[in-house]
Amino acid sequence: MGRNSHTKRYSWRIILGQVLLLLVMLVVVEYLVRVEIVGSLYLSRPTQVAENIYELFAEGEIYRHLLVTLNEFAAGYLLSVVASIGTGMALVLIPRAESFFRPFLSALMAVPKVTIIPLLMLWLGIGLSHKVAIVFLFCFFTIAFNTITGIKQTAEAHLKVARVLEASWWQIVLKVILPSAAPTIFVSLRVAAATGLVGALFAEMIASKEGLGNLLVQATSLYDTAKAFAIITVVTVVSVLIIAVIDLLEKRIVLRWRSN
Amino acid sequence: MAGFFISHVSKIYEGATPTSTLVDIELTIEDGEFLSILGPSGCGKSTLLEILAGLQRPTSGEIFFGNEKLDGPGIERGVVFQDPSLYPWRTVLRNVELGLELRGMSRSDRREAAQRCLDLVGLHGFEQKYPHQLSGGMRQRAGLARALANRPEVLLMDEPFGAVDHLTRLQLQDDLLHIWEAEKKTVVFVTHDVSEAVYLGDRVVLLSPRPGRIKQIFKVPQPRPRKRDDLELLRIQNEIYAAIVEAKSAESLEFTI
Repeated sequence: MGRNSHTKRYSWRIILGQVLLLLVMLVVVEYLVRVEIVGSLYLSRPTQVAENIYELFAEGEIYRHLLVTLNEFAAGYLLSVVASIGTGMALVLIPRAESFFRPFLSALMAVPKVTIIPLLMLWLGIGLSHKVAIVFLFCFFTIAFNTITGIKQTAEAHLKVARVLEASWWQIVLKVILPSAAPTIFVSLRVAAATGLVGALFAEMIASKEGLGNLLVQATSLYDTAKAFAIITVVTVVSVLIIAVIDLLEKRIVLRWRSN
Repeated sequence: MAGFFISHVSKIYEGATPTSTLVDIELTIEDGEFLSILGPSGCGKSTLLEILAGLQRPTSGEIFFGNEKLDGPGIERGVVFQDPSLYPWRTVLRNVELGLELRGMSRSDRREAAQRCLDLVGLHGFEQKYPHQLSGGMRQRAGLARALANRPEVLLMDEPFGAVDHLTRLQLQDDLLHIWEAEKKTVVFVTHDVSEAVYLGDRVVLLSPRPGRIKQIFKVPQPRPRKRDDLELLRIQNEIYAAIVEAKSAESLEFTI
């Protein structure tokens, strides 16, 4: 108990120090830009960025773009999760499928996804389906490979228990193999969420009519640096929130039964 | 009828160097009997148990369970593994329910059955714990409850108390005997511990190693409850040790228990 309260006080000090450091950095930037040591084209005053964030929401301009980006991300991500977990499972559970398809999968994974964004434009245009496809590709391989790894980690002893209890093939998949693979799959779900959002934003920056990435490019092309920083801040918060949602899911599904 | 008739069973593991694990096992296990199978590691005793469980097939020979030829696993033969292999993502209660759930029993019925088995093995109050929150002995109890929940006619136990400390092991042995007496099951109990085999069993089958053969079968006629320091039990233990020493000098230096 004594030790506990000690570490608690200690962590409060750390948080206080962190907040102070953050404030100092913001004040320094504010000062540098105000006295024009750094031009306002290159860097923006934090207060101005804050104003811009406020305006984005007050004028309501950002909601439409936010919705577009989230929509692209959610569609691409969910499709990818279903397809990649399904593919991963099929590859392991169908005999010899993995050894046959693995080189193809590895080769496809090695293709830097950004290089096919222009091609996808040619095939799908620059609307929703283009972005969904890119988010899908950004997420697919990570999750698929982790699914394969996770399934292979299923303990032989756990399978034996199921066989002794006369579990059917489907019961073994649903009640033994998937739960065994869940922790490994979740790791990739978190990573893929972050890269998937990057995919959506990047695709918007290259070719789009709307979305946060589009808004960002508009702002920078008009040399509206403060607005660009404001959008970057919003995007970062969105990314953090998405990860938080996945962490919450993981906590409810997996972490309950894991030992520390 | 819940006895086994094992006829000329042999097991050879195929591979680069085929390994003969069991040779010509000929054994009848009576209905309601508590049979200990004793042997050093590598004597194929776990293989024999897995064959009885239907997890492995013998290379040659036949096994009858009751009047039927054995073919694959069956719910009437409950298995308790050396590592209890509870599913870490399920609570203790849901682990014990597993077999009933797989057979599609309604939630309330299987709760009730699982609860009964948990009470029987002394895990009342631990229903909602996860396996990692239990001690080794408690996990083993949960593994036993999981097997009992399906109301098997036979319990096949593979060194179930091998990984727990000595005092816990003695307690688990006594509790197992109580359950055996209350539930009237046939028990096949694999162990490498001579005193455990003698204390628990109606008969002790001693296997010799590499390849596993039945070296000798010892009857333990002592009525229960038995005392661990019963001179007759100690005499049988000594006989078994003598048989082990004989096998050791005759066959290999590695024969240790």
